[in-house]
Amino acid sequence: MAEQILDQVRDVVEGQIDFEGQKLAELMANVALSVVGAIAFLVGYMLQDIKLAVWIAFGGTALTFVAVVPPWPFYNKHPVTWLPVGGRLQHTTANLVVNEKAIR
Amino acid sequence: MYSSLVRIQNTFGFFTTVAFVIAALIAASDFITPRAPSVGMLKTTNLQVVRGRPHYYSSKKEEYAIIKFSLDADLSSLFTWNTKQVFVYVTAEWPSTSSTIGATIASNATANQAVIWDAIITSPSADHLSNLGPATLKKLRKSAAGKAIDPSRGKLSLKNQRPKYQITHPSGKIAETADVTLRLHYNVQPWVGVLTWNQGADYGLWSQLSGGLSRKFTLPGLKKREEAKKTK
Repeated sequence: MAEQILDQVRDVVEGQIDFEGQKLAELMANVALSVVGAIAFLVGYMLQDIKLAVWIAFGGTALTFVAVVPPWPFYNKHPVTWLPVGGRLQHTTANLVVNEKAIR
Repeated sequence: MYSSLVRIQNTFGFFTTVAFVIAALIAASDFITPRAPSVGMLKTTNLQVVRGRPHYYSSKKEEYAIIKFSLDADLSSLFTWNTKQVFVYVTAEWPSTSSTIGATIASNATANQAVIWDAIITSPSADHLSNLGPATLKKLRKSAAGKAIDPSRGKLSLKNQRPKYQITHPSGKIAETADVTLRLHYNVQPWVGVLTWNQGADYGLWSQLSGGLSRKFTLPGLKKREEAKKTK
């Protein structure tokens, strides 16, 4: 019982996501931070307010962290399908043909 | 980007890059903002030379010049979004003469320069950093309420201002010094970027300070204590 709970806690803390999710997370982090930086600079320059620029940059960065760091479900939409344990393909008939002889 | 820890590290790493680029852009934005500081009037209003001690227990007596002055200056163009504070100071300058020690030490023309007055003008974005009491700080904040920058703070108008510092010379003699001039200096301290002082020439959109130099004057002789007593 305790082990199950510990496993769940570890999964949440580790926050593993699949390969497609990793690609998406990296893209999102880079794009979001760049856009936030551009907005912070432009708004700050237009309104001549450096404090506003700093707050926009920090706020946007915090939002980016929230969007990227936790293992949100949309990062786990393409789970890897592993081969079955033991290496035997149960559901397929072996169609390997070597030297015109079917291997069974 | 496999686990949460890796995502934290990657995101924070790219954040530092973005922060650095923004800081560089902010620093660069100074160069496309014109600067045209000017001094309308800088003149002495009262000159006095007295004898005194450099500190309480000193047995040495030196001559101190007390130079009162009036100043009208417009430094408002120095206040942009990247200005943290502007340090303004007035110096008295005079050449070395053979009768003073300065001539033997330094042979250049304006060998003597001493600050007689200074002030820190904060931008509203840096008011919380100023070294003021709570009441004065509240007043300062109120003066720029709702404003991100307040160029009107760059408009200086001093009438018969008492100097903050009485000046002397390494020789201890300063009475009857000739060819003394007052000069206004400024030092712009940005949030990010380079510190800038008075320029000797125009650079791009930054014009040099127009005016800023008083007429030459001669310091008076020592105030005779005996005479002062007699008149009383």
